[in-house]
Amino acid sequence: MPGKRPRGLGVPRATRGRGFKRVAAMAVLALAVTACGGGGDDGGGGGASSDEDAGTPTPGGKVIYGLEAETTDGWCLPEAQLAISGIMVTQAMYDTLTRPNAEGEMEPWLAESVEPNEDSSVWTIKLRDGVTFHDGSELTAEVVKNNLDAYRGAYPARSPQLFIFVFQPIESVEVVDPLTVQVNLSQPWVSFDATLHSSGRLGMLAQAQLDDATSCAEQPIGTGPFKFSDWVPNQKLTAERNPDYWATDAAGEQLPYLDEIEFRPIVEEEQRRNALESGEINAMHTSIADTVDEVRTLSEAGEVNDYEPDEFGEVTYLMMNESKPPFDNIKARQALAHAFDFEEANAILNAGIVTQATGPFAPGNIGHLDDSGFPTFDLDEATRLVDEYESETGKDLEFTYSAVNAAATIKQAQLVKEQAEAAGMTVEIVTVDQSTLIDGAISGDFEAQGWRNHPGGDPDLQYNWWKSGSPVNFNKFEDPEIDRLLDEGRTTAEGRDEIYEELNRRFAEEIHNVWLWYTVWSVATAPEVHGVPGEGPTSEDPFPGIASGHPVGYMWVEQ
Amino acid sequence: MPVLLRRLVHLLVVLFFVTLFVALLTSMLPGDPVDAIAGFASEEQKDVLRQDLGLNDPLPVQYGRWISSFVTGDLGNYYSVSGGRPVMDRVTDSLPVSLQLMVYAQVLALVIAIPAGVVTAYRAGSRGDKAANATAFGMLAIPNFALALVLAYYVGVELRWLPVSGYVPPGEDLGEHVRRMIMPAISLAVGQIAVYMRLLRSDMIATLQEDFITMAKAKGVSPRRILWRHALRPSSLTLLTVAGLNIGTLIGGAIIVEVIFSLPGIGTLLYEAISARQYIALQSLVAIIAVGYVLVNFLVDVLYAVLDPRIRHART
Repeated sequence: MPGKRPRGLGVPRATRGRGFKRVAAMAVLALAVTACGGGGDDGGGGGASSDEDAGTPTPGGKVIYGLEAETTDGWCLPEAQLAISGIMVTQAMYDTLTRPNAEGEMEPWLAESVEPNEDSSVWTIKLRDGVTFHDGSELTAEVVKNNLDAYRGAYPARSPQLFIFVFQPIESVEVVDPLTVQVNLSQPWVSFDATLHSSGRLGMLAQAQLDDATSCAEQPIGTGPFKFSDWVPNQKLTAERNPDYWATDAAGEQLPYLDEIEFRPIVEEEQRRNALESGEINAMHTSIADTVDEVRTLSEAGEVNDYEPDEFGEVTYLMMNESKPPFDNIKARQALAHAFDFEEANAILNAGIVTQATGPFAPGNIGHLDDSGFPTFDLDEATRLVDEYESETGKDLEFTYSAVNAAATIKQAQLVKEQAEAAGMTVEIVTVDQSTLIDGAISGDFEAQGWRNHPGGDPDLQYNWWKSGSPVNFNKFEDPEIDRLLDEGRTTAEGRDEIYEELNRRFAEEIHNVWLWYTVWSVATAPEVHGVPGEGPTSEDPFPGIASGHPVGYMWVEQ
Repeated sequence: MPVLLRRLVHLLVVLFFVTLFVALLTSMLPGDPVDAIAGFASEEQKDVLRQDLGLNDPLPVQYGRWISSFVTGDLGNYYSVSGGRPVMDRVTDSLPVSLQLMVYAQVLALVIAIPAGVVTAYRAGSRGDKAANATAFGMLAIPNFALALVLAYYVGVELRWLPVSGYVPPGEDLGEHVRRMIMPAISLAVGQIAVYMRLLRSDMIATLQEDFITMAKAKGVSPRRILWRHALRPSSLTLLTVAGLNIGTLIGGAIIVEVIFSLPGIGTLLYEAISARQYIALQSLVAIIAVGYVLVNFLVDVLYAVLDPRIRHART
């Protein structure tokens, strides 16, 4: 069967030189290491592309998937710190109770139904009958209760972190019958089903793994399409087809299609693409603009399939600490927002392929606005605001910008510095390792940083990032209006579009972040590999977003 | 004191100071390991975790605890919120990878540099010698990470002769193992080849001026025999010293080369430990490298005596 070309890739681009110019660029990128905090370059603006006309999936074969990073913490999900690469792996071995459909709305997945009571303060989760974990144990209400308790810090054997805050509204989890769990909340929570998915990372673990005191992180046992085989950190993780997998595709064919999947962390960006081009791996993901651009070129030449949605992405932004000067003063934030010249940043940092962000919600998401009222580039206005700030406070508008010590993030920091200084600000770039950057964010020991966050999905998933007093509200802002809108969006089933659009406009007004551009991830595969991004839970149409990975059970290789 | 015993004492002293220095340095780094492993935990939870991990103890106590475990072969555990994984588990997977890479790079460098050094010394001043020297300078000027990427692109992607990333143990598939180690080994070796060749060349030129060489020539010994049997051995001492000292350079180069070629070696582990503030792991890894470094240089010292009878006789 011949490999099918992906559909439209937006504006055609000239083929780039692939000789010495590229090698020179590779040498620069050699020093760049993966740094999610610093983000760096993001793709976008290319429009959706996929190989959905590839034909009928054929079972068998193997995919070797190049990941941007290793998950050194392992796979004990309640405790693990997972970025996109980790979530990709977990989606192979675990299932979540819910999963989004093409519109981003949640549908039951491992659960048969997930239903709220009238005010959404009690949720009843009915499980599928006959589902077994990879160790042969059954999926029961008791196991699901223990999982939810483990995530929220109420299961003694596990020590979670992030989900303690996320699941704070859970008062208790009860087993109603062997296949029914009831979750009692302290408040109405209309999007609780979205939190049960949590961008694909809230997988259900077998009881044996939950209770494993010594090797919970190394011996994953889920219900997912692939069974864990072997993990050599920094080398590979292999998983074989789960012959007893409970799910079928929309046509009723047994999933997964592949016999085996192998994940290889290849952190050096160029090498990941080289590995794909040389046939050593047959799938990879990326969000580095130069690579996305190269992948587009390869796709136009028919050498790879490129899946690159322009919906449900993340946003790259400048995060400012509002708990101390200068960014406790709105004039300083406004000045920085007006000083940001997107066109220049797009050309210099992003190969000209991204689109400007005006808010935290990328296209496709609830709350997205093409124009939120966020300030546009206006150097005169920025200069005027700097002067106003300085005469008001009697101090120069100066700040430190913390950036991960990697080529892409340093380049971004230098541009920010240049643009801010053109408006009269003084910027000192401080280079740090990624842990220090994140520590600084948590402890509030920073003035400005570059970030990438808020992947597509229900906007309520961002609740803790912006709520006053939350430990992950890194900007340390306390905005009663944002709090009100967050609570309203969480507790009100009707009019959520308007609520989050208002929240978006409030962000633009108060400039809690300087939004830069929307991220577009690309998944590139060999021409004979198909099935990205898969299907929806109950229909052929998949959730298009891949900012937090994508299901791998639908991937297939032409035989 | 016998040489061996003296060297052993030397090793222990070096190990002590290196690990103490690393402990001091890591204690001065900004941030806290607990923030790295439990960033979102409450302050109370973090305090409990610090207590559990012994991070509240004074530095000398922490260091004493670590070194007393290390000398018994216990490399400690990774910091974790629930039962850390032993560092040894990762080291047993990673150490062979790095050792293989460094041995291959060193052997490759010596196999090429020794004949090149001998021939260029013999033909000093010739066009070939000048070309070899120019090439050596060129090789010295190429950073190993840049060479790694160039090789990966041209040899791996354009020509498709060799795989561009990943590792296969020799026991699993020897042929594939060799194929995957060729480019990393070349990337590490190229800079060393230039250094070794230049060193050997200059020492050989000096040796070839010695009286015993003139005597050998007068006796009609063939140039090949003079070069390989009479001149090479006394000219190798500097080369050997530098080859031993270069282990440090190789380790430094291995870190970036391992990352580029996705080799799961000690370099990758070190990078991970630094990034995640895994200080116990970091200290153990540095100590392993220090032990290896001192042992190799001890072996070099022993080899001096083998190569030069004057040293052997002086020691006895």
